[in-house]
Amino acid sequence: MSRFFTTGSDSESESSLSGEELVTKPVGGNYGKQPLLLSEDEEDTKRVVRSAKDKRFEELTNLIRTIRNAMKIRDVTKCLEEFELLGKAYGKAKSIVDKEGVPRFYIRILADLEDYLNELWEDKEGKKKMNKNNAKALSTLRQKIRKYNRDFESHITNYKQNPEQSADEDAEKNEEDSEGSSDEDEDDEGVSATAFLKKKSDAPSGESRKYLKKLEDEDEDSEDSEDDEDWDTGSTSSDSDSEEEEGKQTVLASRFLKKAPTTEEDKKAAEKKREDKAKKKHDRKSKRLDEEEEDNEGGEWERVRGGVPLVKKPKMFAKGTEITHAVVIKKLNEILQARGKKGTDRAAQIELLQLLVQIASENNLGEGVIVKIKFNIIASLYDYNPNLATYMKPEMWQKCLDCINELMDILFANPNIFVGENILEESENLHNADQPLRVRGCILTLVERMDEEFTKIMQNTDPHSQEYVEHLKDEAQVCTIIERVQRYLEEKGTTDEICRVYLRRILHTYYKFDYKAHQRQLTPPEGSSKSEQDQAENEGEDSAVLMERLCKYIYAKDRTDRIRTCAILCHIYHHALHSRWYQARDLMLMSHLQDNIQHADPPVQILYNRTMVQLGICAFRQGLTKDAHNALLDIQSSGRAKELLGQGLLLRSLQERNQEQEKVERRRQVPFHLHINLELLECVYLVSAMLLEIPYMAAHESDARRRMISKQFHHQLRVGERQPLLGPPESMREHVVAASKAMKMGDWKTCHSFIINEKMNGKVWDLFPEADKVRTMLVRKIQEESLRTYLFTYSSVYDSISMETLSDMFELDLPTVHSIISKMIINEELMASLDQPTQTVVMHRTEPTAQQNLALQLAEKLGSLVENNERVFDHKQGTYGGYFRDQKDGYRKNEGYMRRGGYRQQQSQTAY
Amino acid sequence: MASRKEGTGSAAPSSSSTTGAAGKGKGKGGSGDSAVKQVQIDGLVVLKIIKHYQEEGQGTEVVQGVLLGLVVEDRLEITNCFPFPQHTEDDADFDEVQYQMEMMRSLRHVNIDHLHVGWYQSTYYGSFVTRALLDSQFSYQHAIEESVVLIYDPIKTAQGSLSLKAYRLTPKLMEVCKEKDFSPEALKKGNITFEHMFEEVPIVIKNSHLINVLMWELEKKSAVADKHELLSLASSNHLGKTLQLLMDRVDEMSQDIVKYNTYMRNTSKQQQQKHQYQQRRQQENMQRQSRGEPPLPEEDLSKLFKPHQPPARMDSLLIAGQINTYCQNIKEFTAQNLGKLFMAQALQEYNS
Repeated sequence: MSRFFTTGSDSESESSLSGEELVTKPVGGNYGKQPLLLSEDEEDTKRVVRSAKDKRFEELTNLIRTIRNAMKIRDVTKCLEEFELLGKAYGKAKSIVDKEGVPRFYIRILADLEDYLNELWEDKEGKKKMNKNNAKALSTLRQKIRKYNRDFESHITNYKQNPEQSADEDAEKNEEDSEGSSDEDEDDEGVSATAFLKKKSDAPSGESRKYLKKLEDEDEDSEDSEDDEDWDTGSTSSDSDSEEEEGKQTVLASRFLKKAPTTEEDKKAAEKKREDKAKKKHDRKSKRLDEEEEDNEGGEWERVRGGVPLVKKPKMFAKGTEITHAVVIKKLNEILQARGKKGTDRAAQIELLQLLVQIASENNLGEGVIVKIKFNIIASLYDYNPNLATYMKPEMWQKCLDCINELMDILFANPNIFVGENILEESENLHNADQPLRVRGCILTLVERMDEEFTKIMQNTDPHSQEYVEHLKDEAQVCTIIERVQRYLEEKGTTDEICRVYLRRILHTYYKFDYKAHQRQLTPPEGSSKSEQDQAENEGEDSAVLMERLCKYIYAKDRTDRIRTCAILCHIYHHALHSRWYQARDLMLMSHLQDNIQHADPPVQILYNRTMVQLGICAFRQGLTKDAHNALLDIQSSGRAKELLGQGLLLRSLQERNQEQEKVERRRQVPFHLHINLELLECVYLVSAMLLEIPYMAAHESDARRRMISKQFHHQLRVGERQPLLGPPESMREHVVAASKAMKMGDWKTCHSFIINEKMNGKVWDLFPEADKVRTMLVRKIQEESLRTYLFTYSSVYDSISMETLSDMFELDLPTVHSIISKMIINEELMASLDQPTQTVVMHRTEPTAQQNLALQLAEKLGSLVENNERVFDHKQGTYGGYFRDQKDGYRKNEGYMRRGGYRQQQSQTAY
Repeated sequence: MASRKEGTGSAAPSSSSTTGAAGKGKGKGGSGDSAVKQVQIDGLVVLKIIKHYQEEGQGTEVVQGVLLGLVVEDRLEITNCFPFPQHTEDDADFDEVQYQMEMMRSLRHVNIDHLHVGWYQSTYYGSFVTRALLDSQFSYQHAIEESVVLIYDPIKTAQGSLSLKAYRLTPKLMEVCKEKDFSPEALKKGNITFEHMFEEVPIVIKNSHLINVLMWELEKKSAVADKHELLSLASSNHLGKTLQLLMDRVDEMSQDIVKYNTYMRNTSKQQQQKHQYQQRRQQENMQRQSRGEPPLPEEDLSKLFKPHQPPARMDSLLIAGQINTYCQNIKEFTAQNLGKLFMAQALQEYNS
């Protein structure tokens, strides 16, 4: 122990020292039990099979390192955890410790930790600031360590009394600490990581080499010896700074790693390459160190875990190697082999691939190779997030877009490149200029994936933030890319592919309201503005025309049902959005989607729901209340409109689904910019329900078998009634309820003012593209329905009523009133007749009164009761069970018959 | 009002306290067929019940209370009462019995009759024939032989005529209830129909002379009574409500019958199966006999065919009783109203 420290710490730089401390000390450290070792460091770096001791000690050192880190960031909780682990690990290592004696570093950490804790304990101020967990952990840990240290008391005192032994390192430590950087740790990390990796990687490579090429054993040995020499030079130059040293170590590592791919190359080349590599590594390392110095301890952890360096190393070309297609492709494959493996640094992989592209383009390897690599870059960009739920970072996304654009550029520029998924790896032609280039890969898949990523980004961005707007700007880019792909595939792709890309295009078009086309429609084609119009038309085709074209192609050519279904739905949606109700409806009916949509997958169902809703809203705009109501009924009656439209998850059902389901559902959500305003939807539904339900209720007030047209509307009414105190309406629902109440009384003006006012305009009506038209339609509807309601409700108090009065009351013109009343009379809703000369409605007063109605119902019920009773009586025929009933049955039967007789009489002379 | 109450309060106990012991003895003695032939109610009790409803009951809510008094010969004299406190959710642990005992003890201290002789309940359009009423009246009558239940109908009362009725369970029903067996057979054996479930006991309202004097005096003093609810011609509301309730009961009855029907069907089906099984068994045994083998052991048939649980008939009886009450109500009401209408018509003719 002392040997190591005294010699090591004296001669070597801080970083190397700490490196030894952590990694090599166990080996070289204690009491010189392995006198054969030439140099501890070296011994360690060599890939000998690690003894149990090494393993145990490494475990300990790792734990100690963690504790030290935790100490630095004052994370006492972590300390406590690690300390407990340490105790356990120590227990495991007990047998070795018994042999070797208590390792020095172990004592040191114990002593340090105790000091540290005492210090913390004393620091009342700091303790107050600590959070609860930490404070608790502190007291626990303090007690524990006190107890624990009792066993090592002699060692610790020994350690404490030996300042000269540890003076140097302490000094160094202090120095570092005062410098405020965590050099030591980083170096620890770097070295240990590399060392560790070396071990890991070397062992198999060494082995394989042994198996495969026994001949090379000698070489290896010699190499080893070279290494030794290298090392010696390194260490003898006592000032060699840590970086150099590290460089060397990495050299070592790289050499062995190198070995696998480049075994054929002769030793000299390897040698040379190694040197190059070393330099490169050196640079990189230093760069990395710089970076690290900037961020603090936190950063270093990642590096340890991800086995980065392993992947990185084999990817560089040696200087001087001629860069040919074969080499590049080989590199590419190497890089790709790491793909998807655990511990592969995906970011680095992407970087490497980009480097490779650069190299390829620098060396004029032809477009084929570049295209191939580009494909892979994009693929690895997609791979970057291992989790389906997470989304791309903005910079990644940007990179991806750029990459695809570049790829498209190349493909457009070089029409002789064939791209396809079905081209086999073997039949690829990347460089033979004579034949057309063939590259494996599918641009369409990439674009589809890109589109999905875009959706994911939108899903995961807060829709009310500026960020969302920023992301949304990319939508244009996505559209352009899709358009380009479309153009490309129209030339080269199969129909299948064209269908797919068309669908993508459709999916990006259908929900957008075409303001330009709308504008054009509004200004009728007059001669004066002809030229302007032409110009406008030249700017781009109407989205309607575009949709028509794309969808028709899909209808004709598509062979997968799903694409066609989606296309139809989008088409309907688009029609509905642009108020082409009849086209939309016909398409919906013709497609028979309503019958079998429940077999479709959830995203399609969501699309279907969206389409239905849009259809309903469209019908409403056209004044077709009934159609609107029917279309919206399914969505609204469930009360889960939000969920059904994929616009959010309901809290209520949160308990019912597990985490997994929730994730799946979250992925199905429609991005915010596609959302249909739920309040608008509900308002449209409620208003249509009101227009249908109120007259109906008035007409069937006393009918017991009256059915509700809309449950939800009734629910709202009931909620309104339950209010103990009715203030002026605030929310949309309250407005509709208030309006309904007014309408019940036939008071259309109040109804109107409740439905159409500032608040409602802001909340709902202004959201329509043609708000004014909708409003006029609505007023007219309210007038008509109010008139009907009025007639239903108050016809019993009139003997006759002049149509002129009605027309004045409801501000409708006489013919309209006339037609409405006539319709009611024909439908036998109103028992009245029209007196033409005086323009009056004469009531017949044949409606049964409430009591009569009730009596009729009662009679009916009694009828069924008697029937049931008789059935019981029938059983008496059998010998079982009915004895007791005899008397009673008889009695009841008589009564029942009498009543039924009465009922029949009633029926025949209802007017009694 | 207050003065009147006081009057009865002081008058009733003074008269009853002397006859208390004798009356009780007699009541016990004559418990063979029907303990009570007549109910005599003090004016105070009536007023207290009305007041109780007006203060606490509204709509379909029902108020209840305890009747106090004693039995004199075959006459039950109800001389006082007190209400049950209204139940709320937050005092679930409220001990009603404790409260009643406490109340009666307190009343005893002020020298008021403290013997429990029954209970009263308000009703909504005469819908009082329920299981709850049956159960509690049964337990009352089980514990206190002579107890009655007073049904107060506030709606009828509001129409101008005080509606207060005293009911008791018939001895037959008591027996059935005691056995707690409401199967069709048991009811048949008990020979109970819905008409013979409750017996109405005639009521007499009696005031002390002092009160009568006071009343006369008050009547003279008071201005012309301007309330003529009795003459109101409006009928639709009351009729409509009653009809609605009647319809609901009829629906329930229908359901009940359907249930019973299913039960009957199931039983007969099972019976058939049983029969078949037995026959098969018999045949087999015959065969075995002819072959000289021992017959199969007898199996427990009831285990193989578990008899279906017969539906309890009490509910349907109660419903029938309720329907009956409704019908009577309607009959009464319409009869009265028709009379009124004729009167009004005559009046019109006379005027014109």
